Amino acid sequence: MSAPQGTTSGLRYPSNKKTIYDRNLNRSKNAELSRAAFAYLFVEMISYAQKRVKGIADLEKRLNTQGYPLGLRLLDLLLTRTANPLSSIRPTRILPLLQFIAQTLWRHLFGRPADALERSESDPGQYMLYDNEPLVNQYISTPREMSQLNCAAYVAGIIEGVCDGAGFATEGVTAHSVGGESEGGDKTEREMWPGRTVFLIQFKKEVLEREEIMGRGGG
Amino acid sequence: MSYYFCIIGTKDNPLFEHEFGTSRSGGDGVSRFSQSDRSLNPFIIHSSLDIVEEVQWGPSSTSGSAPMYLKHIDKYAHNYISCWITGGNVKFLLLTRPSDAALPGAVGGGAGGVRGSLAGGRGGMLQGTYNPTSPATEEAVKNFFFDVYDAWVKTIMNPFYGLDDRVTSPVFRQRVATAAKKYL
Repeated sequence: MSAPQGTTSGLRYPSNKKTIYDRNLNRSKNAELSRAAFAYLFVEMISYAQKRVKGIADLEKRLNTQGYPLGLRLLDLLLTRTANPLSSIRPTRILPLLQFIAQTLWRHLFGRPADALERSESDPGQYMLYDNEPLVNQYISTPREMSQLNCAAYVAGIIEGVCDGAGFATEGVTAHSVGGESEGGDKTEREMWPGRTVFLIQFKKEVLEREEIMGRGGG
Repeated sequence: MSYYFCIIGTKDNPLFEHEFGTSRSGGDGVSRFSQSDRSLNPFIIHSSLDIVEEVQWGPSSTSGSAPMYLKHIDKYAHNYISCWITGGNVKFLLLTRPSDAALPGAVGGGAGGVRGSLAGGRGGMLQGTYNPTSPATEEAVKNFFFDVYDAWVKTIMNPFYGLDDRVTSPVFRQRVATAAKKYL
């Protein structure tokens, strides 16, 4: 591991001689992806996951797992794309992290910020991130017998990856439909946004303890 | 001056290591660690991980964010350790071993004189009085870390790279060496 290696170690170079290290990280900063291509790919991902599962919880778990590594990567990528890259910063408190997710991450993935961010009144370690119209669910209508399913579990996996990577361990991030005919919440909002989805983020106890200590230290 | 650079993963496992010497002030870029130093370096690096964990959640700015560059964090005998922590909780640790004047043959006879005349202007690297917190040294190390971080992000964007895998790419090693030559 320590000895410097020559360049002839079986590494295959692309035909244009450009490795991943020769590409600029900001090259695709403003690039847009075809929505049709994404929808097609996403449908394939769901059916791939569906072939190997027993129930809806299992399926959501698999979608979550598919999104998780993406979150780990996006965390560092988006942090390097801040205004002044040389003074690179990382979030150390819960709120800046959630704002990073609701603003920076959402803008990068969906081209707009998330619709609302709330803290649970009953549980201080639980946060709720709302999206009125998740892009991933745009072309998906779940059959009645699977009404529990929300395919935004994939996005929940991305969020979990970001939180975990930044050192904010979670008990899990889950996606739930709160629009249309489901119960709870404001009735007019439910009718206006039938696909409204909430991402429940439950932080682990040790994260909350640390947060409290840092808050006392005036940090 | 000899350097030992190491990347530590999220589970305190080493992912990459590289050893080099200074290229400043007539240095030839070759490290001068003795065989016993070589065996000791990983231990020194690992012992400083405790300090990293203390510092990383230390006082942050009012906005609730902290810099990735933690600066000089630890010292063991004549070894100074600087740290950069990425957003994904991966640590870059750089161990600096200033060349003591007693080290024979650090640089060739002729170059030795050149080094002496330049030493004052090189980030407080006056022989025997290396100061890890001088602004010039901090800046140089920061620039080095930043270049490595750029290459690091490119590495983790590779879909075939998993969390806490070892980095084996010779191109990455070359990037680190280039950054080292440029700034240290």
